[in-house]
Amino acid sequence: MTDEGIDGPAEQVGRVLGTADATPLQFWTAVAPGSYLQLDDVVVTRRELPDREPVTIAGVVTQVRARHEGAQFDSDVFAIADGTLPAQVQEAAEITTTRVDPELYVPPTPGAVVHRATGDARARALHFDRMERRIPMGMGRDGVPVYLNADFLDGSRGAHVSISGISGVATKTSFATFLLYSVFRSGVLGGDAVNAKALIFNVKGEDLLFLDHPNTRLDDATHAAYAKLGLAAGAFPDVRVYAPPRVGDSSGTPDVSSRLTGVDSFYWTLAEFCADRLLPYVFADADDERQQYTMVVHSVAAHLARYAQPADGGVSIDGVRLGSYADLVDHIVDRLNDDDTRSEWAGSAVGLGTVNAFARRLIGSKKDLSRLIRGDLATRRPHSINTAESAQVTVVDLHNLPDRAQRFVVGVTLKSEFERKEKSGTAKPLLFVVLDELNKYAPREGSSPIKEVLLDIAERGRSLGVILVGAQQTASEVERRIVTNSAIRVVGRLDPAEASRPEYGFLPPAQRQRALLAKPGTMFVNQPDIPVPLCLEFPFPAWATRVSEAGRAPSQTLRSITGTADPFAVVGTGGGTDDDIPF
Amino acid sequence: MSRFFVDAWDPAYGASFEAGGGPAAPSSARVEPDHEVPAVDWRAIGPRAGVRAPDVVLLVDGVRRIDASVWTAEEDGGSYPGIAASYAAGVVRCDLQRGVAQLAGTKVGRGLFTASPSAGDVVAGSVRYPVHRVGGTGELAKLPAAVQGPLTALEVEVSGAERTDGDLLVVDGPLRNRRQLPRTLGYIKTQHSQYLDARLNAVVTALDPGQRSPVFRLGTAWGGWSWYVRLPVAPGAPWAGIVRVECSAELDVTEAVALADLSLVTLPRFASNPYKDPRAPQNLVPIAGLERRLRALLGDARLLHRVLAAAAGRAR
Repeated sequence: MTDEGIDGPAEQVGRVLGTADATPLQFWTAVAPGSYLQLDDVVVTRRELPDREPVTIAGVVTQVRARHEGAQFDSDVFAIADGTLPAQVQEAAEITTTRVDPELYVPPTPGAVVHRATGDARARALHFDRMERRIPMGMGRDGVPVYLNADFLDGSRGAHVSISGISGVATKTSFATFLLYSVFRSGVLGGDAVNAKALIFNVKGEDLLFLDHPNTRLDDATHAAYAKLGLAAGAFPDVRVYAPPRVGDSSGTPDVSSRLTGVDSFYWTLAEFCADRLLPYVFADADDERQQYTMVVHSVAAHLARYAQPADGGVSIDGVRLGSYADLVDHIVDRLNDDDTRSEWAGSAVGLGTVNAFARRLIGSKKDLSRLIRGDLATRRPHSINTAESAQVTVVDLHNLPDRAQRFVVGVTLKSEFERKEKSGTAKPLLFVVLDELNKYAPREGSSPIKEVLLDIAERGRSLGVILVGAQQTASEVERRIVTNSAIRVVGRLDPAEASRPEYGFLPPAQRQRALLAKPGTMFVNQPDIPVPLCLEFPFPAWATRVSEAGRAPSQTLRSITGTADPFAVVGTGGGTDDDIPF
Repeated sequence: MSRFFVDAWDPAYGASFEAGGGPAAPSSARVEPDHEVPAVDWRAIGPRAGVRAPDVVLLVDGVRRIDASVWTAEEDGGSYPGIAASYAAGVVRCDLQRGVAQLAGTKVGRGLFTASPSAGDVVAGSVRYPVHRVGGTGELAKLPAAVQGPLTALEVEVSGAERTDGDLLVVDGPLRNRRQLPRTLGYIKTQHSQYLDARLNAVVTALDPGQRSPVFRLGTAWGGWSWYVRLPVAPGAPWAGIVRVECSAELDVTEAVALADLSLVTLPRFASNPYKDPRAPQNLVPIAGLERRLRALLGDARLLHRVLAAAAGRAR
């Protein structure tokens, strides 16, 4: 272990103060004349002990203050500035200890020299030396990379990321995508990174639809910033974008406006809707769950799973062919209104009012969901979101779907992905799920099918290799078990009222205040290894975040999956018969 | 009921005019009031046009503190009193042009003042009190005055530093043996003696803030040129805000008058506020700041008392 931070040429910045208590976990340093310390600077000092090796105490600056020594009254500042009262400006910095080595918790001695930690000393102070696999997250305030311990991201010792901050200025989604880029491209995860997948839900604008397009506004400084982090600045190489079908378009073309190529539409066939029991996800409001009709929902879903037969795209129930979601809804409502069939569909002990409440809601869902649940499109055409068969990054565009449809897509997609991972039984390859507005899908109050899935991911995903990267404006409104299961907590700019909530207890008071004025691109990252959240700036995205920034599309995205799929499989008649073309 | 005024000084410091209701202790010193203006024409003098305050003003002051009273045990069974004192002198350099006031030099001294012939240096912890033998019987009441000598020497030592052309040195207290320093004023806050006769005193007590009396010459052993200045002060007692300023007797009268005019444009801006300083306005702001810093340099009194007691215990 080298000691350049103490014995070497490291800069002396001050001495431990004796006028304030020095404790093993926090102490104040008087800043020497001609030196300075800023927030987040890393410093190191040493305490000599009798009969033992010296203790090295390293820490991060969490507060800096300057004052006039020798002034008694506030108005003395005028006399001092006037040149009549002698006074000295003295700066002092509060240091929060990050590491004590060896672990002997003694306070530093007042008067002990404090050095600025650089190189190995800085890495040791921030525990980077103990991280076997370090994922670069951005630059510290001192312009040197800061790292995330991969063990706490990939599930070896912890998983899940929770990102909080005000919409617009907190750059939550940008940080989540940068983190993914770093995971995939830094080579830290080795072979796992190649097979790892990411599922990103795009909820606002078409921001995330250009991940595979290089950013035309990338300058040399940004390239240098990426290089400093050990990354090549570029777009995500392997991206597949899914969008819902256009409303009223019978051919099912994807509903996007800015990205015109390489987008595939996703939908579910009526047969899948019935067989996979997706009906509960139509009622995925937390509000819905409190109502009586949940029983009816499950009863109807079971009935559909049992009796619906696939019939040329649509389904046939009770001998009636249903070709669209609207038809299906009408059929269900019709059967529920019929005294003879009601108990068969809804169960016997259900009141008429409850059935009507269900029917009302079901009819209400027609407008939102009929574009997603189809009976008129080819069943064999690839249309489902399956990350295992998709590209490395799968983007699901939800931004122009109504709320109920967004919940349906998120719920069903997460459920099927999680079930697939459950069946495979291994954690690898990893699946990163990026979901914004987590407070909507997993609110603190109430319960819903989506919340159940998300809770499952938060609590069991670590061992199954499903890593939730959740973002929300207010962590205080997200289910507590999801937040507490996140090993890595990230905060961008916070709302003042929100910052005072106990969910942000990991932020020291000074950082809590700073989070109120954090500028875009500045994040505070708390990881279990390091007792103080690290303030960092991550570089400008190297991929396009809007159409105006998008460079030339990569060639493979010019083909949609329809183009890449075997045309014969799409139109095939489903037979392994003698009619097959013999090559 | 006759009019009365409350003295601005904190009573703990005495009154700014120590001689009761007026300068009641007439000085035996010979006073020559006729040098600047004839005594019959004495009147208040305002700032002279064209005189500008110097860019750099240096102010010198010293502080002292008795850390402990000690008694020696002599071979013959007798005992002498002594005091362990700390004292410090410093100079503030007020650069009015740049608006920077800084400590230009400080010196700290300590000593054990006693008449005991057998006393040696006292070493207490990391501090040393060199012995200063006092002549005579060395009774306890006389010992504090003995500290003044080394302190004045220390003040003279720091005064010499940091001089530049065109600056002005203001010494807290009478000039005494510092009269050889160039461009130096003695600044006397407390008026103990009455030098002028009643008619001339009336001119002094009638001064408006920012005015001075004519220069007069004192014929005492430490005599020299002297004048009174009234600092900015709320109208009040006759002697409120009045200080006596002196300069070296070796100067001729025109030089003395020039210094008096200079003092009138320089000193008022340093006057302190009553609510901030118990001796306002006479205790100048830089001096107050300097004294605070010097007291800090003396070290903690309780700590020194403790180490002295511990050292005495070891010596037994």
